[in-house]
Parts: sequence; C-alpha cells; structure tokens
Amino acid sequence: MKGVIRLAALTRSYGTTTAVDGVDLEVRAGELITLVGPSGSGKSTILRLIAGLDRPDSGRILVDDVDVARMPAHRRAVAMVFQDYALFPHLTVLGNLTFGLRVRKVRRAEADQRARIAAQRLGIGDLLDRYPDQMSGGQRQRVALARALLRDPSVYLLDEPLASLDAPLRFATRADLLALHRELRTTTIHVTHDQHEAMTLGDRVVVLAAGQIRQVGPPQQVYDAPADTFVAGFLGSPPMNLVPGGGVLGGDATLTLGVRPEDLTLDDAGRIAATVEAVEALGSEAILLTRCPDGTRLTVRTGPRPGVGPGDEVRLRADRLHRFDAATGRRR
Amino acid sequence: MTRPRPALTGWAFLAPYAIAVALLVAVPALLNVGYAFTDHTGLTRDPQFVGLANVRRMLDDRFLLDSLQASLFHVSLAVPVRFVAAVGLGLLLAAPRPGGRWFRTAVYLPTVIPDVALAVLFLWVLNPLYGPLNQLLGLFGHAGYNWLADPTTARIGVVLMLAFPIGEGFVVVLAARRLLDGRLYEAAALEGCGPFGQLRRLTLPLLAPVLVLLAVRDIILTLQVNFVPAYVLTDGRPANATLYLPVYIFDQVFEFSGFAYGSLVTILLMLITAVIITGLLLLVRRWRVLR
Repeated sequence: MKGVIRLAALTRSYGTTTAVDGVDLEVRAGELITLVGPSGSGKSTILRLIAGLDRPDSGRILVDDVDVARMPAHRRAVAMVFQDYALFPHLTVLGNLTFGLRVRKVRRAEADQRARIAAQRLGIGDLLDRYPDQMSGGQRQRVALARALLRDPSVYLLDEPLASLDAPLRFATRADLLALHRELRTTTIHVTHDQHEAMTLGDRVVVLAAGQIRQVGPPQQVYDAPADTFVAGFLGSPPMNLVPGGGVLGGDATLTLGVRPEDLTLDDAGRIAATVEAVEALGSEAILLTRCPDGTRLTVRTGPRPGVGPGDEVRLRADRLHRFDAATGRRR
Repeated sequence: MTRPRPALTGWAFLAPYAIAVALLVAVPALLNVGYAFTDHTGLTRDPQFVGLANVRRMLDDRFLLDSLQASLFHVSLAVPVRFVAAVGLGLLLAAPRPGGRWFRTAVYLPTVIPDVALAVLFLWVLNPLYGPLNQLLGLFGHAGYNWLADPTTARIGVVLMLAFPIGEGFVVVLAARRLLDGRLYEAAALEGCGPFGQLRRLTLPLLAPVLVLLAVRDIILTLQVNFVPAYVLTDGRPANATLYLPVYIFDQVFEFSGFAYGSLVTILLMLITAVIITGLLLLVRRWRVLR
C-alpha cells in the first residue's frame, strides 16, 4: 500500500545542537499522525528531512520501502504545506496551482484543467484570478492545500497549517482538514505545537522533546497514560499536577506522583486540605488554583460556578494517580 | 495652543528641499529652454532672441549626427552590459558563502574610485603595447587591438570601463534578493524547479519592479556619465566615435562659446532619454513584467 513511512535512527545536528536525535518512527499507510512538541523539539526538522529540504547526518528515511534520504526533494512522492503557505506572490491562484505542473512540462490546457478540478474540490474555484495578497488567510491556506493535492503524493506533510489562522477559522479549518483526509485517505504527517490540534486531529500523536520521541500512541491513550513527566506536563491544559516525592498525594520519595486537574474533585470527605488562591472562571468550566499546607500547588478543574472563592479552605479527592520514577521521570 | 495641521507640517518639512530643487533645477532648466532660442554665447550679458535659428542649425549639423550615433551606440551596449553585470553579480553574491564579503567588496570597489582615476587606469588597461587587456588577448593567440585609435573599439573601450562602476545597482539587487522569502524557493524546489527554473520563474519576476527601476535609472545615467571617460580616454575621437552628447554639449558651450546651441542640444538629450524610457515602459506593460 502507498504511503508507508519508516524513519530509522534519523539524526540531524546543526553545529553543537542536535535537532533530531536518533528518531525511529513508522507511519502506517493512510494514517494521519501528529508531531507535537515545544519549539526546538525537532518536529519541523523531521518534516523537512522527509520532504528533502534538508539532509540527515545519519539514519534512513523509507517512503514506500524506498530509502529517499539522498533523493532530491521533487523526486520524493511527498507534498508539503508550509505554515505561511509559501504562495508565489507574483502569480494568481491559477498560476500558483499550475506552477509545479508547468515545471514538470504538463501542457498548459491540461494543467489548467487539473488546477480547476483541485480548486473546485477545495471550494476556491471562483478565486482563480486572485493574487495571494487579495485573499484571506483561510483562502490562502486552501490554495496551499490545493497545490499539494495537485502533486498527488503518497504523503502529505503539513507544517503548522493552522497556526496563522485566527481562532474561529482554525476550528472550522481543522474540521475541513479532517474531512479532506477521510476522503483522500493519504498518509499525512502534521506538525503542530498546539496540543488541541494534536489531540483532535491525529490517529496517533508523537510527542517530541529535544529531538527525541518521548511517546507515540492514540491521543487519548497518551493523555491517559503519559510515558514520562515531560509528556504528562506537556499534554493537557492546565497541565497535570506533578508532586515530587508524592507529598500530599501519598507515596514515597522514589516516586513523582501526578494527577490531572479534572481528576481532583471538591469533596468534604477528601483527604487533601488546601486553600483556594485564585479562581479562573472560563464559562463552561472553572480552574481553581489551590495551595496545600506544605506549599504544594494543585490545579483543580471544576464545573462552572464552583461556589468557592480565594481564601476558602477546601478538601480535595484525587482519583487516577499517575506514578513516575522520581529519578528518571519514566512511568512506573 | 492649537496643533498644526498634519498637511501643513508635511509641507514645512518639504519646503527646504522644494526651494532648493526650484532654485537649482527647475529655474535653470526653464532658463535653459529660454537660452536655446537666443544667440547667447555665455560670455556676454545681452542675449538676443533669434527664433528657430538654432533649430535650423541643428538640422544641418553633421557633428550632431555623429554625436547622436555615438550616444545611441553607447546606451544600447552599455545599459545591457552594466545591467547584466549588476544583476548577475548581485544574485550570485546574495547568498551567504565563505569569502562572500570580499567578493562583494571587490564588486563595489570600482564605484568608489573617482571617474577620472578610473579613466586614467583604463588608459593603461587599453594601451595597445603594454596594456593588460591586449596581453590577455595575446594569451589566446590574438594580436590585440589598437583600442582607442579605431572608432568601434574606442566605443567598446568606453563601455568596458563603465562596466565596472556598477556598485549601486549591484547593492540594490543584493538587498532586494535577500528580502525574498526562502520558503518560496523551498516550495519551488519541492515542485522540481531547479536553479535556472527558480531564476526564471521566481527571482526575476519577483525582482521585476526593482529591475525596471534600475534599467530606467541606468539609461538616464548612461546617457550622461560617459562624459568623463570620453574626455579623458579619447576626447571625442577617433572620427567623432566617442563624441557623446554630453561631450558635444560641453564643447559647444565652453569651447566654442555656443551657449545657446548647447542649451538646445541638452533639450534634445532630455527628449531622447524620455523617448527611450517611454519605449522601455511600454515594453514592460506589453510583456506584463509588472503585475
């Protein structure tokens, strides 16, 4: 099947910084996988290595069982959508869409025809004569997607495709991207630093830090059972409460215990005593920032209108504790 | 206290420049038009209006014909040569590479050398006996040219000299190229667009507004700055081959006391410049170089 990607011991350094550090990853055909991590975690570099915009120092990149690591970018069966779309400002939408076809010596009439079909598919059929600076961010993004579509690739590489859109548009476009992927069923690697996108968009999510893969799995599974304290702290907003040595959550000095804010409940029979320091009312929910007598800070997610305010003494019940090794941070 | 209106502030800031332009450019230009229809010699204070006498003289002037021919030959060769050199070197040296700054300095250097010094240098470069250019040709078995003694090679010699002071155009191209978004080139590379494809499909179209401006500027400049090389290298000779319009104007005004006639030729020079630039801009529009 078309679209299987295997990365083996992939490494890329810039000077003394190792951007990608021995990454092994297998992406299944037709899968939508999300690379997520803080900036500098190497997610974009991995995408550029797969695209052929950069060469690895060592390791292999197999697309459909062919090692493409030394192959020029345009001979790889991949299409990339850039964060700022990289549309050619001197060309109309039609010119942008036919650019690659014309470079590959497709006749103009056929190139135009194919561009029109791709544009119709993404709902930009009536914008073909516009220039990029005459369009909105969302429209530009569709042009970039249509341009990728025209390459008919085995793999789509999306580099933060939603980052330049404003919030409501991002929500709608996220749904469009998912629908498009369901329709095409083409392997897609999507890079983001937004954990919302990571949770909602991918079949699987790959969490990266300092050039290394920390965890791979379906989003909910990664959320429910983070492999280490980094993943636990990175996915989820507000992040998981992590208490070295267990402290108010119990346990011993060899452990770091964690609990998600939504797994802490206001309960008069709860074991944990705390003082509310602040309440963030978010409309559909509220976040309580509390402090225990030993100084431990715990974040609690409650329903809207929790009925407590700053200074109130509360008792908390903790469910679903996560146990990590205090020394290595790995899950136990 | 009332705040001054923004428009008024703007005009106030503009005023010193506007006054200077009026006094130093606009008024002399108007006077020049007036003098063109007098018998002014530049020596006396009472020029008399002579109607179209100077125009009639112009129509019969064989030297002016030579001068026009020399100027048109010069502009049609020097502008493309200087343009290709400035754009080519600008694009070549825009990317950061080891030693790049030395190459960029080397390209700019001839521009800071005074025209006269460069011309004297070229007297040596073009010397038929011991000049390096003929020696270079000798390496390829060519006997070399008597550069400044033959009409055609003399004109080419002047163009050769003016192919070096291209620093300003070079710097503009360098800066404009560096402003172009690197992602566009990555997107093009992903589509299989190689270096020459990128030059043709991205760099040149994206730089088009800058290139058109440079070409217009160089046409104006090239029609005028050939005065110094012609004066130092050839003094308009041989056989009037380098009697460019600025040289001819200088000769008329300051050598032959023909201030009025010289004024008329400056108007001709301006008209020729305007016609060439209009032609260029029409081509630009026809070819849809600019969006």
